[in-house]
Amino acid sequence: MTQYRKTELALNKVFDAKVSRQRIDNTTVVLHCHHYATLYTQLAMDCSMLDAKALLSECAEDAWEGFLSRYYTNNGIATLADRIAIGEQAFAAAGLGKMRVTCAGAYSGEVTLDHSHVDEGWIRKWGKSEQPVNLIGAGFIAGLFDALFGKPARSFTAIETQSIVSGAPCSRFSVVAR
Amino acid sequence: MNIDRKKIISAMSRIEVQGNEDGLIPGFNVFVNMMPASFWNSFAERLTRRVPADMLEAAEYLLVNAAHECGYHTGYGIITSNEWKAVVEPQVKQVPEDILHGAFAVFTAWGWAKSEIVELVPGKRMVVRAYDYYEADGVEYGVSTKKTAYMIRGVAAAFMDIAYGGAYDATGKTGLRTFKCEQTKGIECGDEYGEFVVTKA
Repeated sequence: MTQYRKTELALNKVFDAKVSRQRIDNTTVVLHCHHYATLYTQLAMDCSMLDAKALLSECAEDAWEGFLSRYYTNNGIATLADRIAIGEQAFAAAGLGKMRVTCAGAYSGEVTLDHSHVDEGWIRKWGKSEQPVNLIGAGFIAGLFDALFGKPARSFTAIETQSIVSGAPCSRFSVVAR
Repeated sequence: MNIDRKKIISAMSRIEVQGNEDGLIPGFNVFVNMMPASFWNSFAERLTRRVPADMLEAAEYLLVNAAHECGYHTGYGIITSNEWKAVVEPQVKQVPEDILHGAFAVFTAWGWAKSEIVELVPGKRMVVRAYDYYEADGVEYGVSTKKTAYMIRGVAAAFMDIAYGGAYDATGKTGLRTFKCEQTKGIECGDEYGEFVVTKA
């Protein structure tokens, strides 16, 4: 098996006092909480007339595809293994949970979440749910796969097949090229 | 007001949120997340621009409500945190008014909005001005006919709930939504600043 040195994510977070923005590598970032994330998710799930579930995932995909693609370019992260390592660390740095990409290719992939901000926040706020709720996580994963292979947003879709919020020990996503 | 905003903003803007080995950021009584602001902006904007006109008010209410609950629970977590006790609490002489002023200094430090209270009638009314805020970033050219600072509206009302709505209730059944907030001006609408008027619900 090929050995590689796991690339460590280095985030340069600065406060721009003039406009009061927190920025990481010129991307404005903002702290929020699980109440905010789960209520946005609930809103998306309730707004079926617009397919707001897909909309919320797409917004997460756009945000993270952009962030990760810029990071890879600016830091010369070229190998697939290193890109995956950075993606997993970015997921954790955002407080979104513990992610493991267990398989990745140009047409498909598999991702496991041992911990999930949205699922565990949802359980803390409302209890378990029979249906998957991690639309934000699905969007992150799709954005990650877009960035891994240098493709534009909407090149992949991430389908949640098992969920912490439903009582499973981990969440699983199947990733498929569109 | 006995609050030194500059001192609070300087200290609180440097606080680093640290994730644990599970990739979660437990802190301030909640799980914290740190996302690109564009994520929140794009969902709010794309949602409110797509809903039928007769559904716009309901969609906006739900966006504000998300921030209202976030502001209530996280706000309480902030004002009971060790960071608050170290930096802000020593300056608090008048309760809860100084706490409110301190909370908006933290609100500024954490990148939500460069904001301050410009009018406060204890227990009744508060006017907040925001001179810069990420929710206005969606408009890069021209002016919007729609005010977009849903997050500030919700959090401003939540801070008044904490100050004057009775004891904090972790279930949110009491104390929450005793105040409401209207946005009367917006940078995204061409105004010099955003203005937010909070009154009893």
